[in-house]
Amino acid sequence: MKVLILGGAGMLGPYVARELADRHTLRITDVKEPAEELPGDFLHLDVSDLDAVVEAAEGMDAIVNLSVLRRDRQIAWDVSTRGCYNMMQAAVTHGIRRVINTGPHLTVAGRNITECFDFGIGPDIPPQSGTYIYAITKAMGQEICRVFTLHHDISVQTYLFCHFVDPQSSRLGNKRVPYAVSWENAAEAFTLGLDIDLEALPSRCEVFYVFADMPHGKYSNEKAKRILGFQPRRDVELLWT
Amino acid sequence: MKILITSGASERSAALADHLTREHEVRLTERAPVNSAHNFVQCALGHDRATNMLASGMDVIVHAVDPLPGEDVSAQIDAATRCTYNLLLAAADEDVPLVILLSTLELMADYPAAYRVSETWRPLPHTQPPTLSKHLAEQVCREFARERKLRVVVLRWGEASDTTVFEAVDNALTSVEDWAITHVGEIER
Repeated sequence: MKVLILGGAGMLGPYVARELADRHTLRITDVKEPAEELPGDFLHLDVSDLDAVVEAAEGMDAIVNLSVLRRDRQIAWDVSTRGCYNMMQAAVTHGIRRVINTGPHLTVAGRNITECFDFGIGPDIPPQSGTYIYAITKAMGQEICRVFTLHHDISVQTYLFCHFVDPQSSRLGNKRVPYAVSWENAAEAFTLGLDIDLEALPSRCEVFYVFADMPHGKYSNEKAKRILGFQPRRDVELLWT
Repeated sequence: MKILITSGASERSAALADHLTREHEVRLTERAPVNSAHNFVQCALGHDRATNMLASGMDVIVHAVDPLPGEDVSAQIDAATRCTYNLLLAAADEDVPLVILLSTLELMADYPAAYRVSETWRPLPHTQPPTLSKHLAEQVCREFARERKLRVVVLRWGEASDTTVFEAVDNALTSVEDWAITHVGEIER
């Protein structure tokens, strides 16, 4: 499969690229140069540039969106919200039916709302991002994706993460862990998302929490395991044992 | 009341300013220069002090979210999301109690004509403005209301006379609800 990766030179991008490279042809894009050599072609691209995104998507079978910018009030909207619009417009233009979008768990359960009170939180509750800039910009991008799936034959899987962990450097108690996964384990979800029969998904717009099995019961990864076949590794237990 | 109206270049905002200025102190704003007989302040609605100064001292902000002439789709979405966020954050910082968002009844147009659609029904935006941009602006406003940073009334306008529209805005000015949606007029089919 020919896969366009947006934001591929970020923190998760290299893990996803290495995970996918053996079985897929990659066109990796980012606004910055990659810090390491990545498999596939690299293209300098600003995801907020509609024409550039549409051009980059030509000939692709799938789009993986890893682009993110958390704090800058201008660029966060450019990347996380307009970037999603541009990605979906590119998918429409080229008839690309498979899109994997990403974001923080905050797009569904804002950090000051559900997260503080509840347990067993699944990804299909009504979204309530709150006004934190990272959460709301990604949430609006996610909503744009949803709207496009109502009108076009495009399937969008949105993978939500929180903390990525390097198992080699994990230390007990070094960070609050409401929701964590190792980088390599997270990347494996993208193979599953590219392999899955789109007709097997419950709808054209599905959201998944992707993280390890964690004992506190705050968030549920049951849907990712049941539908994607995601298998959490037992590699981040130093965080709580 | 001191009322700020955005999208000052649009006919709708100008007409609303003409109406409200009879009983209120009105300020118009736009992201580009506008010739207006009303008190006018140009503001990009960016993340800066200018947006806070624009909102400071206001009792109500009427946010119209209309595009500038010739504005492309991407810019319209940016204005509906980022600029709305900046404006409402400034409003919350400056203790503005109420925002009235002017949305569109077209958000409900895809329901069958025979259905009696109410404000509690889910909007059905398309993938282009105006429904997509208005829908996203509603979503941004909703999060401010949800966190009780300020109160928001959404007026979804359809085909309605000026009298009907002005009455809806007048009623919204006295709203005490954290989050309210009102349908105004009919959908043009």
